[in-house]
Amino acid sequence: MKPADRILTVVTKELVDTFRDRRTMMVTLLTAIAAGPLFLALILNVAASQADKARELKLPVAGEEHAPALIAFLQRAQVAISRAPADYEAKIRAGELDVVLAIDPAYEADVGSGKSATVRLVFDRSRDRARSAIDSAESLLRAYNRVWGSQRLALRGVAPDVGRPLNVEDIDLATPQQSGSLILFLVAYYGLFASLMGGMAAALDSTAGERERASLEPLLAMPLSPVQLIVGKWAAVATFDALVVALTLAGFYLTLNFAPLPAVGVPFLFGAAELGRFLLVLLPLIALLPAVLLYVGLRGRSLKEAQANVSALLFVVSMLPVIQHFLQEKEPPWLLWAPISGQFLLLSRALRGEAIPALDWLPSAAAPVALTALSLLAASRLISRETVLGTR
Amino acid sequence: MIIVDALAKSFGRKREIKAVDGVSFRAEDGAITGLLGPNGAGKTTLLRMLATLIAPDAGSATIDGLDIVHDRFKVRGRIGALSDARGLYGRLTARENVRYYGRLQGLTGSALDARVDQLLAQLGLAELADRRAQGFSQGERMKVAIARALVHDPAAILLDEPTNGLDIMSIRGLRDLLRKLRSSGKCILFSSHVMQEVAALCDTIVILGHGRVVASGSGAELRAKTGQATLEDVFVSLLGSGEGLAA
Repeated sequence: MKPADRILTVVTKELVDTFRDRRTMMVTLLTAIAAGPLFLALILNVAASQADKARELKLPVAGEEHAPALIAFLQRAQVAISRAPADYEAKIRAGELDVVLAIDPAYEADVGSGKSATVRLVFDRSRDRARSAIDSAESLLRAYNRVWGSQRLALRGVAPDVGRPLNVEDIDLATPQQSGSLILFLVAYYGLFASLMGGMAAALDSTAGERERASLEPLLAMPLSPVQLIVGKWAAVATFDALVVALTLAGFYLTLNFAPLPAVGVPFLFGAAELGRFLLVLLPLIALLPAVLLYVGLRGRSLKEAQANVSALLFVVSMLPVIQHFLQEKEPPWLLWAPISGQFLLLSRALRGEAIPALDWLPSAAAPVALTALSLLAASRLISRETVLGTR
Repeated sequence: MIIVDALAKSFGRKREIKAVDGVSFRAEDGAITGLLGPNGAGKTTLLRMLATLIAPDAGSATIDGLDIVHDRFKVRGRIGALSDARGLYGRLTARENVRYYGRLQGLTGSALDARVDQLLAQLGLAELADRRAQGFSQGERMKVAIARALVHDPAAILLDEPTNGLDIMSIRGLRDLLRKLRSSGKCILFSSHVMQEVAALCDTIVILGHGRVVASGSGAELRAKTGQATLEDVFVSLLGSGEGLAA
C-alpha cells in the first residue's frame, strides 16, 4: 500500500468523524458562519439609526426666551427645538438626552452692550450614540456665529473675509468603501477568526480526544509512520477549516449583496472578486492554524486540557487584528511577513478594493508555510514519543 | 513465533524505574503463552515493546524473525495487538471501526469487505455491525476491538489484560476464540494478573515480577518445580506475599 493511500484513509476517516459530530457542527456553524452576518446586520442598523439622528436633530434648549434670533436660525435649519427639563445635566449623564443648549440669562444684555454672548452646549462625548447630535449642534452654532459676525463686519464696511483669514474646507479622501471602517474591520476579523475556529474542534478531537478515549495507542500500532498519520489528520482538519472559512465568507457575501440592509450611504463592496481575494489571503492560515492546533492538541492528555492550552492561541489570534486596527498608524513593511498580522493587512486592503499583488502575497505566505511544516514535524515527533501513551 | 532476548526498558528522568529488566522467553506458534504477574510487574511495557509502540533500551525481540526495532513496520503488519487502551470511534459504526484498521493494514476492495463481514459474524457482531459504537456495552466494545486487531489475519496476537471489565459470558467467548486461533496455528501471547485465566488457557506460563522473569513453564511444570498444589500458591511462593495490599 502506498503512503498516499494510507494518508487518504486517515483523511477520509477523520472527515467522516467530524461531519458526524453534530454538536461541533452546530457550534461551528453558529459561531463562524451565522454570527458574522448577524453582527454585520446589527452594526449596519446602528449606523443607519445614527444617520437618521444626524438628519433630524432634536435639541432641547434651556432659556430659549433669551435668544429668539438664534432659535429662529436653528428652526430654519430643521432643528426640532424643545424646552429642556430642569435636571438636564443629570439626564445627559444618564444617557437619556444626547445634547442640550443652555442660553446664558445675560445673553440679551451682553449682545446689547456689544460683548460676546455665552451659550453652553452640554453633552457627554463618551457616548458614541450622541456623537452625531453633538457634532451637528456644534457645527450649526459655529455657522450661526459666522453668519452673525459677517453681518456685523459688513455693517461696518469691512469685507467678511477680514475676520476670517483662514477658510477651512473638508475634503474627505476616503472612497465610499473606506468609510465603513468598522464594518471593514469586522469582515476581515471574522475571516481570520473563521480560519482558527473552523479547525479547532476537529483538531482537538483527533488529538487530545483520541488520547482521551484511548484510541490512539492501537492506532499507533498500525503500519503507518507518525508523519503519515499527522499529515492525514492535518489534511482532514485543514479541509474542514477551508470549508468553514468559505461558508463564513459566503455568508458575508450573501448578507451584503442580497439582504435588505438599511442604506447607510456606505456603498460597501464585498463582491465575488473580494471573496476570491479573501480566500487567497487566508489560504496560508488555513494550512498553518490546523497544524498548530494539532500540535497543541497533542500536548493535552484530555480534551479539557487541550482546550485550556488552545486559549492562549485564541488570545493571540483574536488580539493582533484589534491592536492593529486601533493603532491606526501606517503599517511597517515587515508586518506583511508576520503571520496573522500580514493576513489582516492584506484583508483590509482587499476590502478597500485593492488588488493583492503576488509580491505582497508571497511574503505573507512564507512564514505560515514554514511554520506549518515545522508544526507538523513537531506533532509527528510528539506523537511518536512514549509519553503520549501514558494517558492514565 | 516470538523470541524475546534480554529485553529491558526503564522510565523516569534518570531512568531509575526499571519497568522491564532483562526479560527473555519464547512464545511458540500454535500455542497460548501467558504473562502472569502482579500489577506493575512490567507486563504492559513488555507488550508495548513487542507491539513496537515503544523502543527497548537494551536487548532484542523478533516476531517471525522480524526485529521489533529495525523491521518495525513489517512487524506491525504481522501482529494484532489488543492493548489496555481499546477505545473505539463512537461516531463510526462497528463495521467502519474495523474497516478503518483494515485499510490502514493495506486491505482493500472485496477482500476487505469479505474479511470484515467474516470477523463481525464470527464475533457475533453481525446485528450491531452498522450501529454507531458510542452506545456499545463493554463486551460489545471489546469484541469490536478484537475484530479490529485481527482484521489483517496476523500471525501473532498480543493481548494485554483482555478480560478486564468483561462479564463471564464474554470471557468464555474470548477463551473459545483464543483456542480457535491457537488451533489455526497462531502465536498468542496474553497478559493477566488473574490466575484462573492463565491456568485455564495457557500452554506456557511466564511469571513476571519486578520486570524480571521469575519462572516459566507449563502449569504442571511450575507446580512441580515449586512443590505447590495450585498456581496461586506457586505465584505467592515465587513472588512472596509482600506484593499485596497486606504488606
